[in-house]
Formats: sequence, structure tokens, C-alpha cells
Amino acid sequence: MEDELYLENIDEFVTDQNRIVTYKWLSFTLGVHVNQAKQMLYDYVERKRKENSGAQLHVTYLVAGNLIQNGHICHKVAVVREDKLEAMKSKLATIASVHVYSIQKAMLKDSGPLYNTDYDIVKTNLQNCSKFSGIQCAAAVPRTSAEVSQVQTSAQADSQTPNDTHAVNVPTINGHVSSTAKQPSPQPKGIMGMFATKSASKPQDTNKETKPESRETTIATTVSSKVPPKGNAMSNFFGKAAMNKLKVSSECEQPKEEKTVAKPLVSVMEPKSPPSAAVEKPGKKMEPVKIQQKDKRRAKRMDMSDNEEKEDENLKKKRRRIKRPQSDSSEDEDVSVSPTPQEANPPLPSPEPALKIELEPATIEALTGGKKRKRKRVLKSKTFVDDEGCMVTEKVYESESCTDSEEEFIKSKLPAAHSQSTATVKKEPKEDRKAPKKGAATASKANKQVSIMGFFQKK
Amino acid sequence: MFSEQAARTAQGLLAPPSAEASTFARVPVSTYTNCSQHFRLGERSFNRQYAHIYATRLIQMRPLLLERARQKWGSGIAVKKLCELQTAEKCCIVGTLFKSMQLQPSILREISEEHNLLPQPPRTKYIHQSDELILEDELQRIKLEGAVDIQKLVTGTILAVYGSEREDGKFVVEDHCFADLPRQLPRRGPGTDRFVLLVSGLGLGGGSGESFLGMQLLVDVVTGQLGAEGEQSCAAQISRVILAGNLLSQNTQNKDTINKAKYLTKKTQAASVEAVKMLDEILLQLSASVPVDVMPGEFDPTNYTLPQQPLHHCMFPLAGAYSTLQLVTNPYQADIDGVRFLGTSGQNVNDIFKYSSMEDYLEILEWTLRVGHLSPTAPDTLGCYPFYKSDPFIFTDCPHVYFCGNAPRFQSKELTGADGQQVLLVTIPDFSATQTACLINLRNLTCQPISFSGFSAEEDESEMEISH
Repeated sequence: MEDELYLENIDEFVTDQNRIVTYKWLSFTLGVHVNQAKQMLYDYVERKRKENSGAQLHVTYLVAGNLIQNGHICHKVAVVREDKLEAMKSKLATIASVHVYSIQKAMLKDSGPLYNTDYDIVKTNLQNCSKFSGIQCAAAVPRTSAEVSQVQTSAQADSQTPNDTHAVNVPTINGHVSSTAKQPSPQPKGIMGMFATKSASKPQDTNKETKPESRETTIATTVSSKVPPKGNAMSNFFGKAAMNKLKVSSECEQPKEEKTVAKPLVSVMEPKSPPSAAVEKPGKKMEPVKIQQKDKRRAKRMDMSDNEEKEDENLKKKRRRIKRPQSDSSEDEDVSVSPTPQEANPPLPSPEPALKIELEPATIEALTGGKKRKRKRVLKSKTFVDDEGCMVTEKVYESESCTDSEEEFIKSKLPAAHSQSTATVKKEPKEDRKAPKKGAATASKANKQVSIMGFFQKK
Repeated sequence: MFSEQAARTAQGLLAPPSAEASTFARVPVSTYTNCSQHFRLGERSFNRQYAHIYATRLIQMRPLLLERARQKWGSGIAVKKLCELQTAEKCCIVGTLFKSMQLQPSILREISEEHNLLPQPPRTKYIHQSDELILEDELQRIKLEGAVDIQKLVTGTILAVYGSEREDGKFVVEDHCFADLPRQLPRRGPGTDRFVLLVSGLGLGGGSGESFLGMQLLVDVVTGQLGAEGEQSCAAQISRVILAGNLLSQNTQNKDTINKAKYLTKKTQAASVEAVKMLDEILLQLSASVPVDVMPGEFDPTNYTLPQQPLHHCMFPLAGAYSTLQLVTNPYQADIDGVRFLGTSGQNVNDIFKYSSMEDYLEILEWTLRVGHLSPTAPDTLGCYPFYKSDPFIFTDCPHVYFCGNAPRFQSKELTGADGQQVLLVTIPDFSATQTACLINLRNLTCQPISFSGFSAEEDESEMEISH
């Protein structure tokens, strides 16, 4: 071991850097056992004092031992300044340990700075705070994130099972009490699982993503049969980035949820209003159910989106816009809340807009907004070219009630990715749309809202 | 305990560095069982009234009391229900005590506008000379007089009284008895010295920095960073640490946000957030080295009513990764290395202190053991969940170590029961005020306080010694 090196180090810390060198700080800085650090400090003090008795060095010691107090023996552990060391030692009946606690250049008035030094160094070494300690505990191994989530879900289960033993009156009180209990329980498990994996680390993202994805698809299935397969296809298609957006988007309300569900799926396909309309209708029935699921998802998404929001924000915005057009066709909801759902739109990855745009350049004009039969929502899309060179359409809520064919074109282009069963259908709907579009053009005038979703309702 | 072993190598670290530094292995936990399942609440419903918990308490404790009564006053005594009482007939009745206190805070009086009364200021004690004791059973109630210490007893106690009814309808008590200590399971303690550290009242977020160094010293002693080799080897024998409540300080319970306007409090963070982060770091340091049980207390972020549920693990992302961290209920019961521990964070004792003439926390602790109920004043003056099937606070068997946290000072006592039970009673002092924790030796059930101190600007050394 470098015998002299540590002396130089300590000298540098104390005199040059004017630090308070506590044994713990030294131990972490030099990477040595705490006892060795204490001994190093002692050695330094001795040598320094030997060579230069007027050295500017103040030392604090730790004294521990037995103290007779109030008739019983109290074990006392105290940090004392050097000048009070002997006094403290004489007070103790038995001395258990004495060692150097810290060395500093200036005289300390109180022990506050000692605490701060220790706190800082521990804070920077939180994960291995016991590395140089005198005691090693075999049982203290950090759990892997998988185990953590397992424990948490089992904790959920435990909290549910005591229901029966303790709150026996639960079934007797209300039927719905137990039913709501049941409903949240699988959900929280999933959500808590989310939290667990999320808190673990980013690499866990894939787990999370698959989970929300599956959840989304399940919800989608309630909406329409077409939707789930698309969801899967879409998730595969888009990969992680899309999944992030998907998750984030669930913050929106129920209709938004439907939208979001529909949207990611639709995004693969050409925008079609009818599917979304179809989506909406069954959606209405499912609303109460979905609300719960949505809330849960929203809660989960909120949490996840908090972290991802910053990194994905820009992308998200772009994607959202693309998705936006479809929301016209979904059920009406508070316009006030709409901006957020907009934010929460399922992520459309950049390939997607590019895709769609490439896929359906022709459909732009082909698609008339048209067929909104039941949409009352007013979403206007603004198209522009973003940094990546993709044409992006952003949905903005406006209180407009006429069918704007221009916008519908654009909107419908993006919503074209709406719930279609297969990618191949993309081509067909184009033609389909062209035809009915003409008819729809006239019909659209009658409709207040601009949305392509009207096309797909029949389907 | 600690010191004798360590004294031999006390000055060992006042030397140049040695090549090898010895590391000690923490004693493994030989047996640990958490027996607090009956304090866990699952789905909670507050539709019930509290009458059920009193009814079930009486039903459960009546047989115990009758047995004690017969032991004390002879098996031939007449045991009667209140409805069967005849005047001037000596008999024994069992029932729940109700103490009607004039000074007891009552929400109805507070909000009574017609009286134009100001709300009653909080007091340390609510007892008054004019308090009355009333015994209730399932159907009737009767006033008690005579050889009962009205000031000492509190509402909710189940007791048996022996006496007779007078013409004016009051019951004159000649003698009374409680359920006394329940039977105790044999203690199979470890053969070698093993310690459990009890701490309570860390009081994080309290704003006063003096206790921080003490806390850091505590953590360092337990994790083996502090002390010479002898002390570290002794610290390695600490097999468990129990934090008995009030991890957060009362100052974090800032209720201003309720009264303040929203625009003022919008961006402010609750004081408990910082405190919980600090707590997480401390727990991380501890759990990396020793099994820790964390009990919630009066000021901790969990439910208010007893039994308090464990703190949620999402508050401890760092420390939660270690399986050595256990979040447990308040009250807490566990078998640690063959020794049965039972304790609370002090709310039960504190509440009895307010409504009884007893001054000493240790005395109150012993008294709760003798009446056979952890917290008789719940639900009257202490919040409690409306149980109806069974009252989990009744002692089913006698613990070996019975503690309560957040007491004003450290006290301990060895209690011997009538049937030979041996109980160590410990009142754990508030760490933020006293910088003292308790070390319990499982081998011989003795308790030693351990206190920490730094130095401050005052030259007055004696101040450090006062911490006890």
C-alpha cells in the first residue's frame, strides 16, 4: 500500500483545499476501509505534529463508552473536540473506543459542518454506502427490479385478501363494493407493475410498453373488433417510440382514449372516419367500463409520461397532430379538455406521418372530410412542414361548425390511418373514399363537423 | 453490554494504518416472524358504528375477567348482569367502563353556536375532580362509587367489580380486578448476545439541525462505520432495528394549505416530501447493513386511525430495493429470534396519559398490560377503525418485550406476572429531543440506552451529559 501517498493526500485535502476531512469522507475518497481511514488520519496528525509542532491542525475525536446516568448505565457515543477529549474520557466509566473523527484547518465551533461533510459524501455514494464499513450484512442485497415488481404485486394481493377476513361486511354492505374491489385489483396490479418496472430503470421500458400496449389492445377490442389486430400490427410496426406515445396519450378522457386507441391503430391505415365512428358507438356503451380503465391507464400514463414527456415532447406534438383529425369523429367531450387529449394522442412515430403522407398523397384530395354524421366536435387541423420535412397536421380545437373541405382533406389524410383491418385495405379505401367522397361532399355540407370518420361508420 | 467487550481494543485505531482491516459479519437473523396480520386492514368500510367494537371487546374479555374474579374473590361469588341486580346483594359484575369527563373535548360543544363558546384549548390533561365512572354492559349502565380510583381509570377498560347496589341506584365497589397478564409462550432466546435497537421519534423535517449529527452517529454505529474494532464487532451483533414511529416531525404536518388560498399554495411542496426523501436515504444506509422494521407514528404519512397501516413502499424508492427493509403496522408484533416483541408508536399511552391521573409513561404501559388491552381509550378519544368481528387490541398472549415509542424519556422495567410471565417494559424516548435509543439484549432481556452527541458552541460540557 502506498504508505506515503495517503499522507500527501490528506495533507493536500486539509491544507491546500481547506477541507474538513472526516474519516468517512477519506474512506470514500481514497477507497479504503473506514478503520484504515481512521488510522490514516491519526498517523497524519502524529507525523505533522512531530515535524511541525505549530501546525494549524484541529482534530475532533470520537469517544464511546459507558456512562453512569440516573442510576443506570448508558452507552454514550460523542464527538468531541481535541481539547475536550480528556474531560470526556474521564467522565466515562469504561471507554469502548476512541478514534479520530476528523481533521480540519480551522477550529470548529459546532459539529454542524461535520454532519454536512458526511452527508455530502454519503449522498454521492448512496448505492454502496456500506462498502467500506466495518460490518457486512449478507442479507442486505438489493432486489432486482423484477423481484421488486413481484413483491409489489403480491403486496397488492395481500391487501386484497385481508378484505375477506377483516372487512367481512364488504359483501354484505353493497354488492358493488366488492365488484369495484375486484375491478381495481387486476388493474392496480398492472399499474403497480408499471410503477415497479418504471421506477426500476429505463430498460424496463419495453415491459411497460408491452403492458400498456396489451391494455390498449384489450380496450380496443371492446371498441371494435377491427381495432385490436391493428393495434398489434401497429405496435410491431412502430416500435418503442410509438409505444411511448401510446402510453402517454392515455391521459385523455374516455373519448380520447377511444381515439387514442383508435388512432394508433388507424395511423397505420388510411384515415377513415367510419371506423372511428364505429369506434365511438360501441364506445359509448363501454363508457362506464372504459372510464375506469381509462382512469387507470391515465394514472399510469401520467406517471410514465411525466418522465417521458420531456424527451418526447416534440415528437409527441407532431404525432399528436397527425392523430388529431380522427378525434373529430369520436364522441363529443369537453372541448376544454381537448387540448390535453390532443397532447395525449397516441404517438405516431415519424415514420408514420411520412408513411401516410407517402401512401396517400393521392388521397389528400380524394378524401373529403365529409361523412361525419354524428360528430359534433370541431377540430381543425393545420398542416405544415415540420423540421424533419414531414408534413404534419396539427389539430386545434376551434369552435367551428361548418365542414371545411380543405381541412377535411388534410385531416382525413391522417385519420386515414384509422381503424382499418389490414394494411392492404389502405389502397381500397382510397378508391372507396374517392367514390363516396363525392357523395359525401354534398352530405358533408349538411354536417357540421369536419371529419373523415363519416366514411367509415358504415363499416 | 457493549462497552466491556470493546474496551480492550478501545484505542486500537489510534495507530498508523494496519495492512488489513477486519470486517465483521452481521449476525444473521435466525428466526423472524411478523405476527401483526391482525393489525392489517384490507378493504375498509366506515359504515359501522363503534358500538360493535365495544360489544365484541366485552364479549371477548368477559370470560377472562370472570376467571380472574373467581380466582380473586372465590369461586362461589355471584356473577350477575346489570339487569339482574338486586339492591344490597353482594355480587360481581363485568362491564365496560365509561368515564364521563367534564373537560373532555366534544365536537358538539365546539360547534354549538347557541352557547357562543370558544373552542376548548388543548390541555395536557383533561381530568377533573367531578369526573364520574359508569359501568356498562350489554343492556344497562350503572354509576360506580367506592373503592375505585376514578382519576386513574379511563374509558373503555373492561373490568370486574365486586360490591353491591345501593338504594339510590349507584353501585358501591368494594374491590375490582382486571384481566391481568395473559399467558406467555416460553421464550427461546439466543444463546449469545444479540441486540435489537429500538429508536423512535427521528423527527425529520423538523427544521432543527442539532439532531442530525446524532442521527448520523446512530446510523454509523449500527452500520459499523463508527467506533474502534471492539465496538464494531459489538455492533455486528445488532440483529434488527425497529423504528417506532414519528419518523417525520410534527412540523411537516402543515395544515396551512387548507386555509390558505390556492394561488398562494399552488407551487409549494408539502414539507413532508423533503423529509421523506431524507428518510429514504437514512433507511437506505440502514437497510444496506441491517434488517429494519419501520412503524408509522402520529405524524407519519399514513392513516390516522389505529391500527396504522404500513407506510407505502413507493415513498422509499432507494431503500425499497433492499429486502431488509420492512414496513410494518402500528401496533407491531413480531417474533425476533425467539423473543416476542409487541409495541406501539406511543399514541395509545399518550392518550391514556391525557385522560388519566397517571403521570409516568412506564406506569401507563404496565397498566395497559394489566388491563389486557393495548388501547382502551380507542375509539373514544383515540381514532380507531370500527372493527366488529373482533378487537385486535386485546392481548392474546403476553409479549416478552413490550415497548412504546415517543416517550419523554427512557425508562425500562422488568415485570413479573402472577403466572410467572417475564416482560421487559421499555419506553423509547423521542430521538429528536433526547438523542437516545434503546438496545435490547435478547439473550437476557436487558435494556441499555445509547445516546449520541456532538459538540456545540457552548463551552458548557455538562449540557451534553444531560441527554439520557
